[in-house]
Amino acid sequence: MHFLTDPLQYLFIQRAIMSAVIIGLLCACLGTFVVLRRMAVVGHALTHSALPGLVIAYLMGGNLMTGALAATVATAFGIGFLSRDESVYEDTMVGMVPNVMFAFGVLLISTSRSFRDLFSMLFGNILGITAGDLHFIIVIAVVSLFFILLFFKELKLFSVDPNYAQTIGMPVKLMHYGLLFFLSLTVVAGIQAIGTVLTNALLVIPVAAARILTDRLKFIIMLSCVFAVVSAIGGIYFSYYIGSSSGASIVMFAAVIFGIVWVYKFIRTSI
Amino acid sequence: MIFPYCQHRHSSPDRQAPALKIRSLRVSYSSEDKFALKDFDISIPAGSATALVGPNGAGKSTLFKAVCGLLPVRNGSIEVFGRALGACHHRVVYLPQRSAIDWFFPISVLELVLMGRYVYLGWFKRPVKADVDLARQSLKEMNALDLAGRQISKLSGGQQQRVLIARALAQDADLLLLDEPLNAVDASTRETVANVLHKVKSQGKTVIVATHYYDQEEGRYDQAVYLKDGKKVDPEQGEDDSGHKDCDCR
Repeated sequence: MHFLTDPLQYLFIQRAIMSAVIIGLLCACLGTFVVLRRMAVVGHALTHSALPGLVIAYLMGGNLMTGALAATVATAFGIGFLSRDESVYEDTMVGMVPNVMFAFGVLLISTSRSFRDLFSMLFGNILGITAGDLHFIIVIAVVSLFFILLFFKELKLFSVDPNYAQTIGMPVKLMHYGLLFFLSLTVVAGIQAIGTVLTNALLVIPVAAARILTDRLKFIIMLSCVFAVVSAIGGIYFSYYIGSSSGASIVMFAAVIFGIVWVYKFIRTSI
Repeated sequence: MIFPYCQHRHSSPDRQAPALKIRSLRVSYSSEDKFALKDFDISIPAGSATALVGPNGAGKSTLFKAVCGLLPVRNGSIEVFGRALGACHHRVVYLPQRSAIDWFFPISVLELVLMGRYVYLGWFKRPVKADVDLARQSLKEMNALDLAGRQISKLSGGQQQRVLIARALAQDADLLLLDEPLNAVDASTRETVANVLHKVKSQGKTVIVATHYYDQEEGRYDQAVYLKDGKKVDPEQGEDDSGHKDCDCR
């Protein structure tokens, strides 16, 4: 038992576990719609586009999370704006805009002599989360989960049959941008914990594992939450004892769970 | 209190007016300069069954999409039961071709049919027992009640079509726009769909069906409207220079 309780005597570990659990739950709930609506590539794009916002905020001495939020929201809406006339496909913009944003971030870093925090931005530093960061993550999680709960039935219809949703008067474009906005918020919440590069993994992998086991939406959400929380806590303990990167450890735990589930399903269907 | 999905207040249909009246309609897709429908006029009496006949690309789906507000009207006017477009949108239901729906989304058949009630629920309200009963009744009419608990990803093509029509029945619409409902379905589903459409019509509802099978179903419709290249055409004049009819539906 000491193995489990020893790390908890440290305040920074308590904060790390709390934030990891909250981010895990948030990623699982929102990630369900991201995966089922085949928007995983958009999540990937938003995570990468946060970098220049982080760098600019850092160089100007501002709040990093605000910088990341501004960059991801601008990217989400920018993709929609640039692809609105259909002469350039949306997936082309999804492939282009974030890479440009990421390159811009790297350019800013490379021209700044005072920049030393690139690693934690790319791969997270959940053990360095402050009380302020934790409050920020809690607010984002509460608002985002409230959005999902309040508009659950609309999100379902909008995902299954957007044409029908539009014919009954549902503002499908607003719903689409709303989902992108909350996806941006989730990405920002996840950046501090597992970094810009790896946050998308927590959005996608737990849901992908849950989808293998069940085809009921509510069970997918519940199982995704369990997988995400187990990955988050397991990753932090692993990181604490081994001294590895916390973000990478969390993602690897999620990947191992996915692997186990996949093998289980494979064996079950083969017998 | 109901918070409807759009700003329009639901207006009751004018029972004396045609179900659908279209004048000089021009519609184009945003990415194209060419009009998909050109100077289109039509008047469909309430309580009738109409076949919309024409080859692929003739403008059948475009017409349906314009009537239910999915495409902007560039010119002309559309009246549904004597009201401006949108005022009676809760009384109109459009059944798209099955490919327009994500059949792999993890919900049950009953959940899909219940979506037909959303227009009356609006934001924040959840379906109640009366809605569930109506959805089950709609499934029963389509001989699909046994599918209620099944995931939509596990339906055959014919079952998908029956479930979509059940959703339209659950909406209790007065004007049904069905886009190729008999495409690639089995004989039993075709018979069920035909019987239900007959029943729906006998209840005073109006049905417009885009179809490729008009020659096999001619007796089931009160009238047929022929489309070609976005225009209404006379089928007798739909021949090309070689003497072959362009419209493949007769």
